[in-house]
Amino acid sequence: MTLVRWNPSRELASMEIDRLNRMFEEFAGTGRAWTPAVDVYETTDREYVIKAELPEMKREDINVTFENHVLTLTGERRTDFAADNGTYHRSERFYGKFSRSFTLPPTVDGNSINASYKDGVLTVRIPQREETKPRQIAVGE
Amino acid sequence: MSTQWDVMRELSTMQDRMNRIWGGLYDRGHAGHEDVSGHGAWLPPVDIYETAEKEIVIKAELAGLKRDAIDLTVENNTLTIRGQRPAEEGAADAQFHRSERVFGAFSRSFTLPNTVDASKVKAEYREGVLTVRLPRREEARPRQITVDVQG
Repeated sequence: MTLVRWNPSRELASMEIDRLNRMFEEFAGTGRAWTPAVDVYETTDREYVIKAELPEMKREDINVTFENHVLTLTGERRTDFAADNGTYHRSERFYGKFSRSFTLPPTVDGNSINASYKDGVLTVRIPQREETKPRQIAVGE
Repeated sequence: MSTQWDVMRELSTMQDRMNRIWGGLYDRGHAGHEDVSGHGAWLPPVDIYETAEKEIVIKAELAGLKRDAIDLTVENNTLTIRGQRPAEEGAADAQFHRSERVFGAFSRSFTLPNTVDASKVKAEYREGVLTVRLPRREEARPRQITVDVQG
């Protein structure tokens, strides 16, 4: 058996849940589901940052949950009332529900997740637990 | 055969179509697929509709942009939205696991029908969406003309 080095980023990359969700949605015939664009990165402070583009949403319509190391963003964007009573000439934006999930490594601190919403971008910051950070250990005599 | 003249058809003109074609070239493989090889030009999605009051509304998704990074011009009946979205601060040193957002410059143009009053364009930016409102020109409103029949 070969020893494989554990790579936390591999776990992030295996966010297949998300892909499956989307597949099911497409299969269910709900048409092209809204899949907001997301960036996921790890800062030099070993904090995970998830940024999702959710323009023109109400804060209360965005849900962020964390369970079993899976962070899920869900929400719903309603159509414009004025547009509903008018005539559409170009419709490139998506409306309705969305759901995206990301599996995070077990080193993250689920109790210190912080989320903010500004200029239509949701930012979720997930720090890693203090004890999993690299430490310098002094060598005694 | 007579076709009803659609004012808005003029909005989607050649220029805009060209923008999309060029944009689409760079953007290929982006829609619906996950493109690992990096994306090209940023083409913000836009909705255009006409309200019951015959006002034309253009809404563009520019999430993450600062108000002063948006440039809106009207020239020769052409409305152009331009802007630049710089990469996130600290992103250069960060280790990316997923990169779906597009950064950089964008430009989208729309030809306005001559029924709108370009001098009364109103624009506001809230929660990542730019809303441009173009009221209908007063003389373009439907009028009732009474014809006196003599004889």
